[in-house]
Amino acid sequence: MKRRTPPAQEILEDADASLLDVIDNVLNKGVVVTGEVVLGVAKVDLVYLRLSALLCAADRLLERREPPRRAVRVRLRPR
Amino acid sequence: MLYVYAFVRGEPSGRLPRGRRGERLRLVACPGGLAVVGDVERPPSPTVAHVRIHDRVVSGLARRFPAILPARFGSLLPGEAALAAALADRAEGISAALDLVEGRAQMTLRLYGRAAPLPAPGEVHPALGSGTRYLRGRMSAWRAATTVPEMAPLRPALAALVVAERVERHRTPPLIATVYHLVERGSAKTYLAAVAAASRDLVDVRARVSGPWAPYAFAPDAAS
Repeated sequence: MKRRTPPAQEILEDADASLLDVIDNVLNKGVVVTGEVVLGVAKVDLVYLRLSALLCAADRLLERREPPRRAVRVRLRPR
Repeated sequence: MLYVYAFVRGEPSGRLPRGRRGERLRLVACPGGLAVVGDVERPPSPTVAHVRIHDRVVSGLARRFPAILPARFGSLLPGEAALAAALADRAEGISAALDLVEGRAQMTLRLYGRAAPLPAPGEVHPALGSGTRYLRGRMSAWRAATTVPEMAPLRPALAALVVAERVERHRTPPLIATVYHLVERGSAKTYLAAVAAASRDLVDVRARVSGPWAPYAFAPDAAS
């Protein structure tokens, strides 16, 4: 029987830890020009709702693995 | 259609980078400053690759302009007239924000661990009117959302470096809060060293720092 990967590990993989910061900056900050960003807004909201949870999970993984400094990859498209 | 990357001030120190889809970027005069835009046919989809590219373009612009306010991902308008109309009553806010970020960059400080109890809201006298009680309640909520007692041990070390601060408290333990600091460009290493040294005095709290970034959190709408 195939072993199920914990959800956080499905999302978090070794990569660039700054990605979560990039997502926070690019999707959640910055000047909103039109009052409504022209996107699949629901998708972005869903992604951002998961961001703080991902940041927590990333912190746990980083704590376990340091040193060396490890990083995080996030699957941006909601499944 | 115009895809807006950022608002800037001043002359670029070099050629503008290419846009998200390789398009040439151009400067468009708008209320409060200049907009850096690219001409595109459709909005970007929110993929990791597109988010990364957007940030890369903004970072490239930040290296070329002394003052930059990034636009939020996906800001798309039909044309220059629509851009001017969208910003017509916001010139003052954008100009003031460009003043604030000129020559500066953002550092992001995240605090993890055990949250400290927040100060209790002050008592509201029952004789006060409903409007005053409402406003006091709003004030208490705002204080609760922007107070970070957990980082008190870091403040003396950072006081001389931090020009402005934005705070977001979180409700997802162990993440306590994200604190965005605006610092002078070139002082990131000093900031990192200051946090590293002062972090030894944190109790039940860990600090993680990233940066320098373009000042995303100091855009006029970014506090929402």
